[in-house]
Amino acid sequence: MKADLVMANDMFASPVHTRSFIETVRKDYFSTPVQALLTLICASVIVYVIWALVRWAFIDSIWSGTPEDCHAAAGACWAVVKDRYRLIMFGLYPYDEQWRSAIACLAVLATVILSCIPYFWSAKRLPVVWVVGYAVFYYLMKGGIFGLSVVLETQWGGLALTTFVFASTVIIGMPLAIVLALLRRSKLPVISALTALFIDGIRSLPLLSILFTAAIVLPYAMPDFLVGDKLYRVIMGAAVFFAVYQAEVIRSGIQSLPAGQEEASIALGLNYWQTVSRIILPQAFRFALPPTINQVVIAFMETSLIVILGFFEITASGNAAFSAGGWNSFYVEVYTFVALIYFVFTYSLSMYGSYLERSLRLMAR
Amino acid sequence: MNNQAAAIEVRSLAKFYGSHQVLHGVSLEVKAGEKIVICGPSGSGKSTLIRCLNKLEDHQGGTIRVLGTELNDDIENINEVRRDVGMVFQHFNLFPHLTVLENCVLAPMLVRKIDRKTAEEQAMAFLQRVKIPQKAKSYPGELSGGQQQRVAIARALCMKPEIMLFDEPTSALDPEMISEVLDVMIELAQGGMTMICVTHEMGFARKVADRVVFMDQGQIVEDGPPAEFFDNPKHERSKLFLSQILGH
Ligand SMILES: Nc1ncnc2c1ncn2[C@@H]1O[C@H](COP(=O)(O)OP(=O)(O)O)[C@@H](O)[C@H]1O
Ligand SMILES: [Mg+2]
Repeated sequence: MKADLVMANDMFASPVHTRSFIETVRKDYFSTPVQALLTLICASVIVYVIWALVRWAFIDSIWSGTPEDCHAAAGACWAVVKDRYRLIMFGLYPYDEQWRSAIACLAVLATVILSCIPYFWSAKRLPVVWVVGYAVFYYLMKGGIFGLSVVLETQWGGLALTTFVFASTVIIGMPLAIVLALLRRSKLPVISALTALFIDGIRSLPLLSILFTAAIVLPYAMPDFLVGDKLYRVIMGAAVFFAVYQAEVIRSGIQSLPAGQEEASIALGLNYWQTVSRIILPQAFRFALPPTINQVVIAFMETSLIVILGFFEITASGNAAFSAGGWNSFYVEVYTFVALIYFVFTYSLSMYGSYLERSLRLMAR
Repeated sequence: MNNQAAAIEVRSLAKFYGSHQVLHGVSLEVKAGEKIVICGPSGSGKSTLIRCLNKLEDHQGGTIRVLGTELNDDIENINEVRRDVGMVFQHFNLFPHLTVLENCVLAPMLVRKIDRKTAEEQAMAFLQRVKIPQKAKSYPGELSGGQQQRVAIARALCMKPEIMLFDEPTSALDPEMISEVLDVMIELAQGGMTMICVTHEMGFARKVADRVVFMDQGQIVEDGPPAEFFDNPKHERSKLFLSQILGH
C-alpha cells in the first residue's frame, strides 16, 4: 500500500519536474499583457528596494570611525555597533569582567542546545544539564567564589540577561506546564476544577501585570527571606505565564491521542507515571510540536518586556548604546543589530522546530 | 494443567454507565487453561465484561476474582493482576512512537524489571512465534493491520501472562488478513493458554473453544460447548443471532 502511494506520488510529480523554469515564469507571470506589465513594475520596485538596501548597508556604509565620519557618509553607520557592542551585549556589567558574562551567556546557550537534543530527553539527563548549566551561569555572573569579584544582579545586562531570562522561563515553565496539564486532566473534579481556574485566571491577565506583581507587589506579601532578587521573581512570573499557555498546548496534544493508547499501556501493567512519561507525553509533544515552538519563540520575544521593570536586557542596552557619545542619530543601525540577534535566535528555534517535526514524522504513523 | 483452579471467577457482576446499566448480574467461571469465546449482538456488553476483568472499567456490583485476587480499589492488587493478564484490542493500540521491538520490551523492562538484553531476546522469540521477526526495527505505522495485530499479541505475550483477553481482534482487519491472526491465536490456544476471546469467528470458536458464551442485553444467555451452541442453540435469541451471522 505504501509502495503504491509512493508510485502514485511520483506519477503526479513528474510533469511538474519536466516544466522548465523559463516555461514556469512565462506561464505564471507573463500570460497576458496586463500581467506582464504588472510583473515588470513589481520586479523593478523589488530590484530598486534591494539595491537601495545593499547600498545603504554595504556600499556607502561606515564600518569604523567617529560619529563625524558617519555623518559625512550616505550609508549605514556600523561604526556605532563596533564602538558600542560591549555595552549592547553586556549592559552595565563591569567592563573588565565582561568575559565572565560572555562565557555565562555561552553556558546558557549550551544548556538550551543540549536540551534540544533527544539524547538528553530523560528524567535523569535533563536535570543534570540544567543544574550544571545554571551553576556555571550563576557563579560566573555573580562571582564571589574562585576569586571572582561579586557582581550583583542589578548590574547584569545585555544578551546574557536576555538569554538567562528566556532559558529560565522555558526551563521552569515547561515542567510546570506538564504538571498543570496533567492536573487539569485529573479524575478528581476538585483538582481539575481548581487547576482550570488557575490556568484560565492567569491567562486572562496581561503578562505585564504579572511581571509588575512579581517585581513590585509580591515583596509586600511575602516574608523577607523568601523575596529574593527582583530578577528571580520576574523570572518566576514569566515562567508561570508561559506555563499556563503551554499547559493548554500540551493538553490539546494529549487529547489528540487515541483513547486506546492509555488503555493499552495500563493493560500492560504500566503505572500512572510510566504511562504518562513513556506513552502519553512523548506522543502529546509530537502532536503539539508546532504550537510549542510558537510558545517558546513568543517567550523569547517577551523577555524584552522586563526592560519596563528596570532590567537592562538587550533592547535597553541597545537604547543606551546610541544615547551617548554623539551616536544619537544612529539608532536604526543599533536596532538593526539587536533585531539581527533576535532573528538569529527565533529563526534557529523555528528551524529546530521544523527539523524535529520532520524527523518525528519519519518515525510515526 | 490443574483443571480445578479457577483463573477467573465473576459473580453477579453489575456495571453502570451513569444510570444506564449495561451488565445485569453476569456470572462466569473460567478454569486455568480453558478457552472461552464470547459472542453476541453489538452493544450486548461483551467489551464491557472483558474490560472489567483487568479493571479498565470499574464495576458497581458483584465480585471479580482473577488468579485468586479480588479486584477492588487497591491499586497494588490491580497492577499485579494486569501484569498477569494480557489484552489484545480491536484496534491493536500499538505505541506508534516506538518500534515494534520497543513496543515489546517496554512493559517487561518497566514492570517486570527485566534487563534490556534479556527482554529483547525474549521479544525476538515471541516475534518469531507470531512470524514477524523481520519487522522488529519497523514502526507500527509501516505495518499492515494483520501484522500490527500479531505484534500486539507478541507484545502482550512478552509479559508472560497467565490469561489472555481478546476483544474482537480480527474485526478491524481486511478479510485477507484475518487468518494470519487467527492462526497465531490457534497456536496460542494449543499451547495451553487461558483465553477469553470476544469474536464472531465461528470457525475459530468451533476449533479451539471449550465453551461458547452468548451474551445479549447485558446478560449471559447461553454458556456451553461449541458443538451444542452451534448445532442446538436453546434460546430464541441465540437462534436469531446465529441465523443472522451465519446467514450471509
Ligand atoms: N464509555 C461508555 N459510556 C457510556 N456507555 C457506554 C460506554 N461504553 C459502552 N457503553 C454502552 O454499554 C453497552 C455495552 O457496550 P459494549 O460492552 O461495548 O458492547 P459490545 O462490545 O458487546 O458491542 C452499550 O449499550 C454501549 O452503548
Ligand atoms: Mg465491543
